[in-house]
Amino acid sequence: MRLTRKKTAAETEAAQSEGLGVSRRGFLKGTGVAAGGLAATGLLGQGMIRKADAQTAKSSAPVEVKRTICTHCSVGCGVYAHVQEGVWTYQEAAFDHPINKGAHCAKGAALRYHGHSTRRLKYPMKLEGGKWKKLSWEQAINEIGDKMLQVRQESGPDSIFWLGSAKFNNEQAYMFRKMGSLWGTNNVEHQARICHSTTVAGVANTWGYGAMTNSYNDMQNSKSILFIGSNAAEAHPVSMQHTLLAKERNNCKVVVVDPRYTRTAAKADEYVRIRSGSDVAFIWGLLWHIFANGWEDKEFIKQRVYGMDEIRREVQQFPPSVVEDITGVGEAQMYKVAKMLADNRPGCIVWCMGGTQHTTGNNNTRAYCILELALGNVGKSGAGANIYRGHDNVQGATDFGVLSDSLPGYYGLAEGSWRHWAGVWGLDYEWIQNRFDQNTYRGGKPMHTSGITVSRWVDGVLEDKEKISQKDNLRVALYWGHAVNSQTRGPEMREAMKKLDMMVIVDPYPTVAAVMNDRTDGVYLLPACTQFETYGSVTASNRSIQWRDKVIEPHFESKTDHEIMYLLSKKLGYEKELFKNITINGNEPLIEDIVREYNRGMWTIGYTGQSPERLKYHQQNWHAFDFTSLRAVGTEADGDFYGLPWPCWGTPEMKHPGTHILYDTSLAVKDGGLGFRANFGVERNGVTLLAEGSAPVGNEIGDGHPEISANLLKQLGWWNDLTAEEKAAAEGKDWKTDLSGGIQRVSIKHGVAPFGNGKARTIVWTFPDAIPKHREPLYTTRRDLVAKYPTWDDFEALYRLPTLYKSIQQRDTSAEFPIILTSGRLVEYEGGGDETRSNPWLAELQQDMFVEINPFNANSLRIRDGQDVWVYGPEGGKARVKALVTNRVDRNVAFMPFHFGGFFQGENLRNRYPEGSAPYVSGEAVNTVTTYGYDPVTLMQETKTTVCRIEAA
Amino acid sequence: MKYRKRNRGWFSLVALLLAGCLFSLPSVAQPQGGPPADARKELMQTLPGTTSDYWRNVQGGVTGTTSSRSPGAETLIMVQGEQWRNWRNHWVSPGGLIALGGSAAGILLFWLLVGPVKLEHPRTGRKIERWTRMDRTIHWYVASLFIILGFTGLMLLYAKWFLQPILPGGVWAAFMTAAKNIHNYLGPLFALGLLAMILKWIRHNAFNRVDLKWFAKGGGIVGKGHPQAGYLNGGEKVWFWIVTFVGLTVVISGLIADFPNFGQSRETMQITLLVHGIGALILMAASFGHIYIGTAGTEGAFEGMKTGYVDESWAKQHHDLWYHAVKDQAIDEAELEARKAGNSQTAANPTQAS
Amino acid sequence: MARMKFLCDSERCIDCNGCVTACKNANETEWGIQRRRVVTLDDGEIGKEVSISVACMHCSDAPCMAVCPTNCFYPTEDGLILHNKDTCIGCGYCLYACPFGAPQFPKQGAFGARGKMDKCTFCAGGPEADPALEAQKYGANRLKDGKLPLCAEMCSTKALLAGDAQEVSDIFRERVVYRGHRNGAWGATQQEPGLSELARQAAELATDAARS
Repeated sequence: MRLTRKKTAAETEAAQSEGLGVSRRGFLKGTGVAAGGLAATGLLGQGMIRKADAQTAKSSAPVEVKRTICTHCSVGCGVYAHVQEGVWTYQEAAFDHPINKGAHCAKGAALRYHGHSTRRLKYPMKLEGGKWKKLSWEQAINEIGDKMLQVRQESGPDSIFWLGSAKFNNEQAYMFRKMGSLWGTNNVEHQARICHSTTVAGVANTWGYGAMTNSYNDMQNSKSILFIGSNAAEAHPVSMQHTLLAKERNNCKVVVVDPRYTRTAAKADEYVRIRSGSDVAFIWGLLWHIFANGWEDKEFIKQRVYGMDEIRREVQQFPPSVVEDITGVGEAQMYKVAKMLADNRPGCIVWCMGGTQHTTGNNNTRAYCILELALGNVGKSGAGANIYRGHDNVQGATDFGVLSDSLPGYYGLAEGSWRHWAGVWGLDYEWIQNRFDQNTYRGGKPMHTSGITVSRWVDGVLEDKEKISQKDNLRVALYWGHAVNSQTRGPEMREAMKKLDMMVIVDPYPTVAAVMNDRTDGVYLLPACTQFETYGSVTASNRSIQWRDKVIEPHFESKTDHEIMYLLSKKLGYEKELFKNITINGNEPLIEDIVREYNRGMWTIGYTGQSPERLKYHQQNWHAFDFTSLRAVGTEADGDFYGLPWPCWGTPEMKHPGTHILYDTSLAVKDGGLGFRANFGVERNGVTLLAEGSAPVGNEIGDGHPEISANLLKQLGWWNDLTAEEKAAAEGKDWKTDLSGGIQRVSIKHGVAPFGNGKARTIVWTFPDAIPKHREPLYTTRRDLVAKYPTWDDFEALYRLPTLYKSIQQRDTSAEFPIILTSGRLVEYEGGGDETRSNPWLAELQQDMFVEINPFNANSLRIRDGQDVWVYGPEGGKARVKALVTNRVDRNVAFMPFHFGGFFQGENLRNRYPEGSAPYVSGEAVNTVTTYGYDPVTLMQETKTTVCRIEAA
Repeated sequence: MKYRKRNRGWFSLVALLLAGCLFSLPSVAQPQGGPPADARKELMQTLPGTTSDYWRNVQGGVTGTTSSRSPGAETLIMVQGEQWRNWRNHWVSPGGLIALGGSAAGILLFWLLVGPVKLEHPRTGRKIERWTRMDRTIHWYVASLFIILGFTGLMLLYAKWFLQPILPGGVWAAFMTAAKNIHNYLGPLFALGLLAMILKWIRHNAFNRVDLKWFAKGGGIVGKGHPQAGYLNGGEKVWFWIVTFVGLTVVISGLIADFPNFGQSRETMQITLLVHGIGALILMAASFGHIYIGTAGTEGAFEGMKTGYVDESWAKQHHDLWYHAVKDQAIDEAELEARKAGNSQTAANPTQAS
Repeated sequence: MARMKFLCDSERCIDCNGCVTACKNANETEWGIQRRRVVTLDDGEIGKEVSISVACMHCSDAPCMAVCPTNCFYPTEDGLILHNKDTCIGCGYCLYACPFGAPQFPKQGAFGARGKMDKCTFCAGGPEADPALEAQKYGANRLKDGKLPLCAEMCSTKALLAGDAQEVSDIFRERVVYRGHRNGAWGATQQEPGLSELARQAAELATDAARS
């Protein structure tokens, strides 16, 4: 029996709070009716009845039903929000929603609280002399704008870091990229960099598009599912509905590959424990058995894959004994899994951060694709690479190029790309060009070189100015919906924050950035709305675009992100250009106009057919879409796929149904069929890169072909299918740049995919590793493998910054830091957790930051379950957390969740939050301990494999 | 984070058995309810399709991890709950009725058959101080709290069978709330009194040869002539030790139950409440005898605890040895009245001589 | 009359705590009160781990009801066990009797001050005529509006089912049939024999319950 019962910090906090869940509106407060009966007033009865203080009073006012989408992950669950007199009073399960059928995880089921949160940022504030001071919006925008203009004057436009968000809706994401671009910089980023950037790079370079090929729903048709580096049960719980249906209805075999026995693994037919960071070797190990037994899909490879023979040769280097040495998985299990996947086709592969957040992230993602290509598991229902994205709109924000290496639609940064968008925007190319720094750095002009990434803005601040490929260091950072505690190297980040001239945090919550910065001045907080306080579209992981209603009016003094963009751009003097085609109501740009603008420009990935009207129609007719095929039956959307998953080719008038399954040749392009994108040329070393003997149904060419341009249309004799207007617009253009959409329309009319019909490639000759290679992590406990599988040499400049590999790996830390540290997800929280830890319904469930330690290590280190421990990282960071002794992790492996913040190396930062806005639960951020390490293609950070030492506190 | 908690149920059965030994009642027909709930059946309906291994585990009170921080949340099925219910509802509750009823009936029968013990000789009018003001204060303090706690405790155990049907809902609720709160708030005060009483009187309560003879004569019921007794007779000493041991048990268990804010497990609370109930019922049953003997059962006894003084005749008859030691301290009734009126110093403590 | 029951399909439960927060959402219970919880057994043990969502089971012969000193519990026509907070004195006996840890108390204070007991009502509210008061004291009354408990409606994998015992067991039986290829329910990964027998038993029990 415990003799004392300590209150946790969170409990104390909750007890002190002014009443959980009490709405901002007076009438919502508990009606004050005493719970009746004599007992309430009777003898000694007073005080016995606690009036439930967390309640919204039930009202008989008329109910408005709003349809919105959960903001917590990319599954895209539908929600019915019942609103009475402007207050969100009930949340009902959307049983007719085609993706979730009413289902929610802890976060989705707690959504309504966001409509009542009191822990929000309430008005603009600035830090002055160590104290938070309230500002008017006007003053805040003026001060911020003046500083930005001053820094621009002194250090050029690239010294401002525009850190946007995957929590934007599509329209805001698009405007944010455009806003950064017209400011004159490519230093525009968001969390996709540290989420699936290696996926996008690796997968797009394998077969054309870097997104999930199929859908959550389509997984019901899978016969096997390989989860590698994905803990869907905690990260995408509602997706498990489809997985478990496949298991139940389809006898689907579920294989989970993870260093940690997760809740997903608990549902697996086969759980494979691998050493963190050994994914490529694991995949090669599977392929070794597949090739050895002839289980590969030879016909598919012949028709649709380039370079499989090179892979076959590479795989020969990975016989079972080598694979066991690297991954820790024995031959018998490797064989079993390989056979399971081979015997149960179509099968798909699922990966998440466990695969992407590595220095070898792009190698991992390409290896995964190659496995699916070898098994012929691409372009079919039940097959594919089902890449679960993270945030609710990280797919959309990626598509709209809130990234330093591309304009919206993956157009890149070449002059042609800028000219294309200048055309869409109705602006002079030269005007835009003049907004940029005209100097050249290491051979590149800032307008055409990838900017600094979110993973490394810290280095952009701290790095020696001479070594950065732009005019000056970063001096101002706009954290526009970003959780800084999701980034590695916490202690250095704190230094960088201190060095900045100004920090601007635009967010519904103060975020960890507001408290960990160690500054006394020059921090601005601007309260932004959540997505429940505005409307617009959001792209789920499966590329379906869903429309959200506005549920409630903005809380406190918060403003929508697009309104803040308008106000700031006005202050910065370019709102006329930025919003040239867009109606402004008051200070708020019209969302529908933004959709129409990007509809006119996003040809590459087919964000062109999804007009606001079509999206809204889908939203109003959730019930019409099938739960497995996502296809509408009946209504005006008959035949459409839900949310018009991109590519939805051509103009809205063309009524393309969207593409549910990418690269599926069993459908005509007009019905959502495709071959692989012919994006890598037509041949290499005398071998064709175009499909051979395979094409989508109805393809009049009947074989592989390059992407469609005006010239090719003429050669094919289809030019005259264009209208006169289309001809005028299409002349000299191709499918990506023809603003009339005529080229796409005519291509599809002839059954031809506008992007060509190519082969997927297993070799990416432009990448540091043309063939994916296993390379030991920078911090590894297996020093013996470093010699054979070393990392890369250091790079002088990647995304404008010197990037280290070998010089980090050289240092042997294995004696001092013998435990592998990996990080991951808790179902109750999202990302940095600022929002979810401020939701008491969720916060109550996870009150302590912890580290999972195997009993083997715990006993050796004399650490008890629940005890406080210090976790030390090899770069000097440390965190004080609770020990959770469990067999979920292997011996010499530790796991920490990444959602916590508010404590820093033992220091409690809670009193640094503006009054009344600290989240209910705080804790150390795992990323105070995590270390250096970046993927050379995308600068993805390494969060999944580092090392640590644990000591009792 | 999710805590893994140790299974705390290991000692429950042993403890239940111990508790049973304390007050081993005959099995009686249960006065209420049907057969006990079958947790397995309930869970089978709710969690079908599980293996037999699983059921063995679950029924063994297996614990897991959970994010709930409620006490015992990590246990899927607390098997002891059902045992506790059986003990409470099928043994303690009816057993208590039998004990209390039996005790009351026995006394009534004794009174009818034997009648009260009268003074054998007329009062002399000379009084001897038997209980000091402090003694009486402690006694009545403890006694009144005992009655209040006993009554409220009985209400918590039995009132729903006879009071609820006749009271309007609001009154019933207020009554029970009051009963519980009075019981819980006064309990610790009772504990203090009991402790003071034990400390104050313990030195008079060592058993000696005289007590053996007293017991042999059954306190005067067996054979002829009143057995010899000192300041306290054997019966009073027995009562004292019952009050001490059972009373302390009731008090300690009561305090554990009254302060659940130290993280007591459900299993601890179950045992605590059983022990408390059994002990309290024993005390109450026994107290009937004490009350009878001290009031209607013995002429002249009550005035001792009421006024502090007893008549010489009474002292001689019931506590002859003590009487001989202190008889020179006897005073006239009139003088006593005068003293009381004058509020003068109390007489030398007469009990010192015994 | 229908007999309402919960059914948790442990083959599908992934410990996402959706049911727990859905309950919070519907009933707005205060911090510390979780009418529903998910328990994971053999956490981290490969091939053995199983998660189960638990709340009040609305037992046919409810132990809480049997030990309550004030008789604050009452069965409804739907086979639910509800309670009257006005009559509850916060003694905690129901918690000590309940095998499932369902009763929740707002506090564990000195002098046995626990506040009013709170537990799952199957989203059927409690004995209070005024809807506002009912919501305040007992949370949602969805049943009245023909809706089922929000925890089950929102379950991420449809592991938690709620409703008429017969219908719920039919749904489960259908799943068992689908899973027939793998020898039944959750033990599938352990190759446990005789599962179909247990499943049949379970279905029978559920059917019995539906009849009673």
